[in-house]
Amino acid sequence: MSDKNSILTVEVMDSDGSTFTLHEVCERGECHAEFVIKLVSYGIITPVEPVAEARQWLFDVAALARLHKARRLQRDLKMNLPGLAMSLELLDEVQDMRKEVDRLSRQLQQLTGEW
Amino acid sequence: MDFKDYYAVLGVSESASPEEIKKSYRKLARKYHPDVSKEDNADEKFKDLGEAYEVLKDPEKRGEYDQLRKYGAQADGSFQPPPGWQSESGFGRGGYTDADSSQFSDFFEQMFGGGQGAGRGAGGGFRQNVRMRGEDVRARLPLFLEEVFNGCEKQVSFTVHEADEQGRIVARQKTLKVKIPVGMREGQHLRLKGQGSPGIGGGAPGDLLIEVELARHPLFSIEGRDVVVTVPVAPWEAALGATITVPTVDSKVNVKVPKGTSSGRKLRLKGKGLPGKHPGDQMVIIQIVMPEQHSAEAEKLYEQLAEAEKAFDPRSKLHL
Repeated sequence: MSDKNSILTVEVMDSDGSTFTLHEVCERGECHAEFVIKLVSYGIITPVEPVAEARQWLFDVAALARLHKARRLQRDLKMNLPGLAMSLELLDEVQDMRKEVDRLSRQLQQLTGEW
Repeated sequence: MDFKDYYAVLGVSESASPEEIKKSYRKLARKYHPDVSKEDNADEKFKDLGEAYEVLKDPEKRGEYDQLRKYGAQADGSFQPPPGWQSESGFGRGGYTDADSSQFSDFFEQMFGGGQGAGRGAGGGFRQNVRMRGEDVRARLPLFLEEVFNGCEKQVSFTVHEADEQGRIVARQKTLKVKIPVGMREGQHLRLKGQGSPGIGGGAPGDLLIEVELARHPLFSIEGRDVVVTVPVAPWEAALGATITVPTVDSKVNVKVPKGTSSGRKLRLKGKGLPGKHPGDQMVIIQIVMPEQHSAEAEKLYEQLAEAEKAFDPRSKLHL
């Protein structure tokens, strides 16, 4: 069954690339629209264009990935929405800081000749 | 079959109270949650935790497990369930709880999964009239910087879930060869339409979403679309200016270091960063290095230099 030898062309998904409607996001995220609307109202995910009508919302792939993450955290750690919003923000911050620490320590190593 | 010591997984003793088990599970679940933890095997550990807790939180299952643990151990360290073993605790009849048991180990499946009919998956399979889109599957793909610059073909392996003839959900390993376009950035996604899990009852298949990761390069680091490299120069090159050869990801270029360059100064090579519609730049950070030893002649020249540059106070900012 696996088409091991076929080379598949892929679609690069940028924040300025493909988007998903509310319906598609619900289907892919296996959740109700209500949950997505709540995530938006807590600022956990944001539609590409901030229109008021939920039916017109479009989400980029990063928002979809975040929705999945929010669902996993909610399911596995029994988090409520304010908790989710705060942990996701803190996790973003931790991730940015880890990257920055990594970058700076490499730079420092190179500048002090320890490489 | 390997025996799974659920007590060890949860870090509790055999005599732990339900309260202690719950507490330990909650603490470890936070620690090893794959979305939180940065440990390599967090995924595995988190799965084990879920499985261990699924059994130990339920007094009936815990009792059965304790018996198995006592009588199933073999002299050679392997594990065999006692003859005629059959779980009584409801798992066998498809009565899974809210836990995603399809993720659990073979050990769990053998002990609590029950025999005919139930199997893995949510109790007895799907009815024919259910129509569902297949799930999207996520995979991570580490790339070398050179691959990002030149594009490449990569083999990607991932697991899809599909219904078998009895309507049970089974996992299947899938491998695809994928053409990776030039100029991918860390965290960017690639979508392969329809390559995720198949749909159920005529539903559309899900997609495969590949998240790109960049492997660490010994010389270059990446900042956004820019490539950064530190390049050592001799003090006289920095003082007098020089044309030096600098490595780029796919070749090398000559760069003019301006007269009087300090350590840490950044030079920008336009368009030598990540390729793409808007290519990034390469940043060259100058680092002044000293020879390990100076000749007597060089020392004399430095002494002359010290005399000639007496007015220069390198520590003026320290207000000494």
